[in-house]
Amino acid sequence: MTQIAAPQIDFGVIAPLVALVATGLLILVIDLVSRRATRRMLYSIGIAGCVVSFARVMLQVGHPATTFGGAFASDRFSWAFDAIILVALAVSLSLSLGRDAEDGASPAAYSSLLVFCALGGMIMAAATNLIIIFLGIEQLSLALYILAGTGLGRPASQEAALKYVLLGSLASGFLIYGSALLYGASGSVALTDIAHAAASPSMLFITGFTLFVVGVGFKLALAPFHVWTPDVYEGSPIAVTAFMAVAVKAATFSVLARFVYVVFGHDVPALAPLWALAILSMIVGNVGAIAQTNLKRLLAYSSIAQAGYIVLALAGVTGSGLSTMVFYLAAYAFMNLGAFAVIALVGDGSESVADIDSYRGMFWRRPWVAVCMAVFMFSLAGIPATAGFIGKVLLLGQAIAAGPWGIAMAVVLVLGTLVSFYVYFKIVWAMFSPLEDGASAPAGNALVPCIAVAAGVAGVVLMGVLPQLFYSLFAT
Amino acid sequence: MQLIDVFPFVPFAFGLLTLLVPRGNQWVRILPILGAVLTLGMSLGFAAGYLILGSTETTSSTHPWIVGPWTAAYHVRVDATSIWFVLLTTFVAVPAIWAAWSYADASRQRGFMFLLLTFESTLLGLFTAADLLVFYVYWDLMLIPVFVLLAGYTGGAQARRAAWAYLIYNGAGGLVLLLGVVGLVLVTHTFEVLGTSFALAPALQWWLFGAFAIAFLVKTPAFPFHAWMPPTYTQSPPPLVAMISGIQSKAGLYGFIVFALPLFPDAAHAWAPFMLGIAVISILYGAFAALAQTDMKTLVAYTSLSHLGLVLLALFAFDVTSYPASILMIVSHGLISAVLFIMLGFIEERVGTRDLFAFGGLAAKAPRLQALMLIAAMALLGLPGLSGFAGEFLILVGSWQTQPVVTAISLLAIVIASVYALRLYQAVMHGPYRVPAGAPSAMELRPREILVVAPLLAAIIFLGVWPGWLTTKTAVPAAMPSRPAAYEVPHT
Repeated sequence: MTQIAAPQIDFGVIAPLVALVATGLLILVIDLVSRRATRRMLYSIGIAGCVVSFARVMLQVGHPATTFGGAFASDRFSWAFDAIILVALAVSLSLSLGRDAEDGASPAAYSSLLVFCALGGMIMAAATNLIIIFLGIEQLSLALYILAGTGLGRPASQEAALKYVLLGSLASGFLIYGSALLYGASGSVALTDIAHAAASPSMLFITGFTLFVVGVGFKLALAPFHVWTPDVYEGSPIAVTAFMAVAVKAATFSVLARFVYVVFGHDVPALAPLWALAILSMIVGNVGAIAQTNLKRLLAYSSIAQAGYIVLALAGVTGSGLSTMVFYLAAYAFMNLGAFAVIALVGDGSESVADIDSYRGMFWRRPWVAVCMAVFMFSLAGIPATAGFIGKVLLLGQAIAAGPWGIAMAVVLVLGTLVSFYVYFKIVWAMFSPLEDGASAPAGNALVPCIAVAAGVAGVVLMGVLPQLFYSLFAT
Repeated sequence: MQLIDVFPFVPFAFGLLTLLVPRGNQWVRILPILGAVLTLGMSLGFAAGYLILGSTETTSSTHPWIVGPWTAAYHVRVDATSIWFVLLTTFVAVPAIWAAWSYADASRQRGFMFLLLTFESTLLGLFTAADLLVFYVYWDLMLIPVFVLLAGYTGGAQARRAAWAYLIYNGAGGLVLLLGVVGLVLVTHTFEVLGTSFALAPALQWWLFGAFAIAFLVKTPAFPFHAWMPPTYTQSPPPLVAMISGIQSKAGLYGFIVFALPLFPDAAHAWAPFMLGIAVISILYGAFAALAQTDMKTLVAYTSLSHLGLVLLALFAFDVTSYPASILMIVSHGLISAVLFIMLGFIEERVGTRDLFAFGGLAAKAPRLQALMLIAAMALLGLPGLSGFAGEFLILVGSWQTQPVVTAISLLAIVIASVYALRLYQAVMHGPYRVPAGAPSAMELRPREILVVAPLLAAIIFLGVWPGWLTTKTAVPAAMPSRPAAYEVPHT
């Protein structure tokens, strides 16, 4: 009979998570006790919590530590991902400020759910065993299912929530089943122990890992597990979509990266399904985006392709791969949050102005907004002097060095990028089209989305021109 | 921080200043031309050493940029080869931007000027880049100003469609180049590839050269990759097409001379038969296609294909005469196509059409236009005494030494050149005077317009009379020449 000893808890390690828990609870309590709590006030508390948590993460950078008997870690697999999740949370909360009043969701419930959702993401980034990973994923997903449906006035939002919850639960099933098989193959839920079993993988292990990848692939929207993405992105409120696109990807990639690095540590044939998913995603995402006329759907397909790109960072499982992944994720965060902020700004709280048609001739009416949107599109397409370009160079270098699978992925990335030129430049082309008489100009002009857009442009250009600043930030 | 560091950004900075000028203010016109002239002055300063003192020293500056899995530096320089491209850029940009005074409606002139100056900056950046990553950055970055100019500043639906042809072709070429560049850097671990010998394995060289070559051939363009050229050249406003055809089309050739040939010398010889094939097809196809055009801008566009094919022939003949002649031909073609496109722009502005059958006999009403057009057309034809002849003649003499068959076939294009050049000139100038209804009666060039094209024509005459002034000042690159093998090209 084994004796169970309560492990020492180092609260310093989980302080960023504690900060978010406190923030979420504070929002709920204030809403409960105060009748005068405004939406602006509640969201500001959420953003303040973000800042505190972010500062705490930054203090941890460079000092790896574990707690809860090694189940939670604060290390190079968590820092940058935490930072990205928190930035996404802050941006998402700010963009929510101007939401449709008729949406009707309670501001306290909505903002605390966003905070708890981010908490789930950070648990995923810190998790070093299968149970905590599952805990984090469920925490994130359950909150997100509800958030997707908070556009109470719009049936599309309800539809998005329903689709997301049905397919998401199925994916969770795959994930938990895969985890169970991995536990069966290795006799432990800790990734470090599973690594022993990975040295000579049994059929059980391979099956478990493949199911695990399916579950993760769903969260990342990797093809062929992507079918939910366009509908959910389109139906969800814009701020939730932005969060979904950035934070969920960052959190899930941290899980995937940690798993691949800790369990395998080097390139193994068992990873082949992952490379196949990446190739498929790059094709499906870019080709699927061609026909889209709604910007949210277009960015959904774009995010499928980008998720495929990011997998290339793992090719070869080399030391620089993690820095590459972090760099591309940060670039991805800036350009996507920026693009969603533009959509929110132009839509001015309404979800209806997301058609490319409403961007026709935008440059001649609102040159600054159009130029910012163009910068985000250039970055998504990987044009030089933007973050997306340096990210792609890093990814290509990672992939080409990794042998036949890597070269195949690199070639598909290049072909996909060519297709994506059409997708992203179509928007630029529309914005520069001649003005038509009588067309109504979308006039959203709120300050907060403006700030988010400006910050996104600054990040995209800075990462493109001086990438060293970001590349070395988390390279420890 | 040295002058050369900021030199490529000077036009861009003036472009930004132009954006700040209130709409309709006369400085919207003056600032861009000031920027272009200042840039020309700076490039002449850099050139002084080479042109007057005959020095071959490199003006160069390096700053560390990225240190990661590989290193890259912000490394810019002008040397005895790149100076000619820099000079061509700054020299053609001044008349192009001056000509641009007429080609944007007042409300859009600031953006138009800004984009032209930005385009010049990306071209200067490309020709001064010594680091492969910096080179690539400009290689792709130049897509943006041209795409936006075509999509937003020309107005016509056809021009907006041409933007796509330009973007997709050049973007595809750029991505192939990116694969090649990254593949190369995985071996070298640095983007600072110039001046170092890496002794790459022949098989790797073959693939990398292929990737570089495809990108360079698309940008030039050469035969199977030229589909973007006719719509782009035809639909672009004259200042833009003067810069695309006069300068940007040299970017690929520059890439061959400075990067592909020195980096992959073995592969260059292995690919030579293929490249020579592309060259000769471009030369003939361009010439024959020019014969069949009725749109005067498309006609000149196809002559570009033919003339730049000659440069490819010169480069891949690996001959000590044809090589410096290729630089002469590059500069000469830049001047001739720029002046032609600008003058065709003047003509189109007057008669309101580009259709050669729709008007004619302008000589009767515009003797000065006729005189200048005659010089330009004769330069296109390759009349001795003008730069076009000097370049073509030296290339053919040189290439004959190593590639007699290919050179003999290419000679045919010289004959056809007289036909299309004379046809262009005759259709526009000779015959009874007729213009479409509604065209203004004043056909003669205005003084400003004469001043715009005069420097270009003067340079064409100067290089035609004294080509040796240029050919003796070009450096012979390490890759080609020191191989006596130039006279026994390996056939693989």
